[in-house]
Amino acid sequence: MAQNEKNPDELILSLNSIEVMYDSVLLAIKGVSIEVPRGGMIALLGSNGAGKSTTLKAISGLLKAERGKVSRGDIRFDGKPIGDIPPQDRVEMGICHVIEGRRVFEHLTPDENLEAAAPMSMSRREIASEKERMYEYFPRLADRKSSQSGYLSGGEQQMLAIGRALMTQPRLLMLDEPSLGLAPFLVAEIFGIIQRINKEQGLSVLLVEQNAVAALEIVSHGYLIENGRVVMHDTAESLKKNSDIQEFYLGGGEGKKFEDIKHYSRRKRWLS
Amino acid sequence: MFYRLSGVHHNSYKSDSKMFPVRTDRNAIIFFLLLGLAAPFLIPSLYLNGYVLPWLIWTAAVLGLNLVTGWAGQLHLGYGAVMAVGAYSAVHAAKFGIPWEFALLIGGLASSVIGSLFAFTALRVKGLYLALTTLAMQFVMDWVLTHSPAISGGSHASLQAPTFALLGQDITSDAGLYYVAFGWCVLVTIFMLNLKRTGLGRALVAVREKDFAAAILGVNSFYYKVIAFAASSFIAGITGALLVATFYFLAAPEQFAVHVSIQVLAMVIIGGLGSIIGSYMGAALILLMPGLVNQVFSASADVLGLEIGVETLAHIPNAAYGALIVIFLMVEPLGLGKLYANIRDYLMVWPFDQHKK
Amino acid sequence: MDWIFLSELTVNGALTGLLYSLVAIGLVLIYKSSAVPNLAQGALTMLGAYVVLAFSDNLGWPLWVAIPLAVVIMFFVGIGIERVALRRLAGRPIVMILMMTMGLDIFLRGTTLAIWGGSSRSLNLGVSYDPFFVGDMLLSRIHLVGAAVAIAIFIASVLFFRTRMGIRLRAISDDYLASWSVGISVEGGVALSWGLASIVAVATGVIWGEVQGVDQSLSLLLLKGLTVAVLGGLDSILGAIVAGIILGIMESVGSFYLDALVGGGSRDLIVAGVLILTVMIRPHGLFGRHDIERI
Repeated sequence: MAQNEKNPDELILSLNSIEVMYDSVLLAIKGVSIEVPRGGMIALLGSNGAGKSTTLKAISGLLKAERGKVSRGDIRFDGKPIGDIPPQDRVEMGICHVIEGRRVFEHLTPDENLEAAAPMSMSRREIASEKERMYEYFPRLADRKSSQSGYLSGGEQQMLAIGRALMTQPRLLMLDEPSLGLAPFLVAEIFGIIQRINKEQGLSVLLVEQNAVAALEIVSHGYLIENGRVVMHDTAESLKKNSDIQEFYLGGGEGKKFEDIKHYSRRKRWLS
Repeated sequence: MFYRLSGVHHNSYKSDSKMFPVRTDRNAIIFFLLLGLAAPFLIPSLYLNGYVLPWLIWTAAVLGLNLVTGWAGQLHLGYGAVMAVGAYSAVHAAKFGIPWEFALLIGGLASSVIGSLFAFTALRVKGLYLALTTLAMQFVMDWVLTHSPAISGGSHASLQAPTFALLGQDITSDAGLYYVAFGWCVLVTIFMLNLKRTGLGRALVAVREKDFAAAILGVNSFYYKVIAFAASSFIAGITGALLVATFYFLAAPEQFAVHVSIQVLAMVIIGGLGSIIGSYMGAALILLMPGLVNQVFSASADVLGLEIGVETLAHIPNAAYGALIVIFLMVEPLGLGKLYANIRDYLMVWPFDQHKK
Repeated sequence: MDWIFLSELTVNGALTGLLYSLVAIGLVLIYKSSAVPNLAQGALTMLGAYVVLAFSDNLGWPLWVAIPLAVVIMFFVGIGIERVALRRLAGRPIVMILMMTMGLDIFLRGTTLAIWGGSSRSLNLGVSYDPFFVGDMLLSRIHLVGAAVAIAIFIASVLFFRTRMGIRLRAISDDYLASWSVGISVEGGVALSWGLASIVAVATGVIWGEVQGVDQSLSLLLLKGLTVAVLGGLDSILGAIVAGIILGIMESVGSFYLDALVGGGSRDLIVAGVLILTVMIRPHGLFGRHDIERI
């Protein structure tokens, strides 16, 4: 597999067999290894509760807020182990996690949302020009920049959340289910913008999605996570063609009707 | 080794719903019950009525507050006021000639009614706002009591309680009063223990955790909040009445003022929100603590040769009491009850390894 | 109808109300940044006043040295309290956090009084007690000074929350997790808000100390401050000012008429009544925000 031969210098992020525990008793991630090349776009797929969000939280450090921790393995960003540093320091290093459910600062305006995320080291002028750039990426936001963010529509809030993350000048952007609850055309719009940013700025992207169809359109590689383990990883093209993926996540392949899939009993054992 | 168990495992619904599934617990409870019954013969009456009796009564009060704050999750800063309603109603009723059994009931019902009024506030708000409303109501009650001589005899007067009697028998002996307090405390404890096992108890916990989610499940949160307040107020009312009848022997407004509400709440927190055994322990600690601290300070002052002013001495119990609350919340927010549970868990499978169940 | 007298009552009430606003602003500062209602604000106020007195009375230093020194010390006291006592309770149910601040209140009060004694001490700001007349109305100078301080703090706060640090504090109070995720130090922000509230506590303690002497009654301002904060909206500084004025007027005018009916002491009753009514009719106050809860 092409990835195994990759030069470690080309990786912006690597997870090595990490285990994550909640409350010291619940093993949520049982051994996950992931690699994100610089400037690459990688997807983490899987159904509800598989452990995708937990993986992202392990990388961004937000696990602590939920009484979780990485109990084994290590995470390396830019070749250096992250260890246990607090989330705000990881943001400074260049990791930014757009958490699921959008979670904009509801009582602040979009403009203030963007400003809140700007690092303290940025000067006023830099902040202003960055904000302009965000409004250029997300024109919808420019129209609403002075209303309370809680009143924005779902799509606008998602764009705001991404724009806010971009204000932190990340080198790795992690998105947790950005398409959740959004209409398909909005999903296409947002994914298009993400692709554009990836190409223009070389920003590495780690995308967690249940919407495998949309995700596989824009990423180069994907990892499939089930029950806290990586059960498959391959290029996007191969994943799209894989019949099991088609069956479980893409709504069935050719010739299979939904009724046939419904009664499929999951005796299939994933190779660990 | 102590519990002769390797953990608590049930294989029938019946055994799971027993009040004391672990045999050692059952034996311990019976032992303490017998001890309580024999207490008047074992402990000199000075300590019995000076320490044990108030401890039991306050424990009953704490249990009542635990119902509404620990289980139903409704923060209640006006508990003293509710106790006052019960105390004053009962005393007035008794003075009126009504036998004490009914006077107590009247006290409980009066508190229940007034206490349920709090529930109407709880319907709309929660958390801080509910706490503030109960606090405000406490101040209103304080004001009413000090400004209505008809009810309380005024702010400097106090209301003498008629001799306590049950079933026609005057109860004036130390042992007799003690048994009344003991009986009431046991009654309330049994009620609370049973509550945990019933649908009502579970509904209360559901309301505590997320009341609108509980509503989706068909748990009418308003109804259960009212029940929680009514029941806990009933307990408060009778407890307040008994406090006056068996301990203070007269009713005065300062006995149920805001600092009392805070004191009972402190007992709940330190004992552990929702913990029954914690209620006993929290009450004991808060009651004993000021005396202990004063003694420690005076003793150490003697040893170190320092002078401690009267002023200082007067405020040290408060400082210590506040420190207790702060330290407990920092170190073990679930209180003494959790500490006890931890010890029990550890001993239960000792000397084998600890695994969370 | 003695209009002069009534307007005197009203204006004095408004000025007193602004002094309550001072306490409320301290509460709002912390709530606005961390969604924690600080029931220890009263004790902090009292402590602030005693610290000033410690420098000016015991050490004999002039007030213009004592007060800034006290401000600095209390700033760190506030940060220290947050760091030591409150930080571990982040995320716990509000019952516990409230009890913690209540416990802190009791502890601080007890310790402060144990150290400095409970007898009332006077704080002399050098404001003359000569009567001050506006037309035919008699006003109290110290109240005017206090009101001016309240307005000044209000303006400073409004400006502060427009700065970058202020925006971050508001973001923190909206969503801790999202704040962490964009690199905002929630811990630092909350600590800062406690420090700022402690500074306000010093100002409050000094003013009120002048008005009614420095003793334990200072900490009892809490209930009035809370009522003002709730009436105005727990996260609105403008609300604290407006509500203070309203409550002050209601208390002053109301108690004048009510005292005759009920024989005195109706001020506290009015305050309690306003609190109850506010919570039942419009819990988020005049200018506060709605809190949306999600299932």
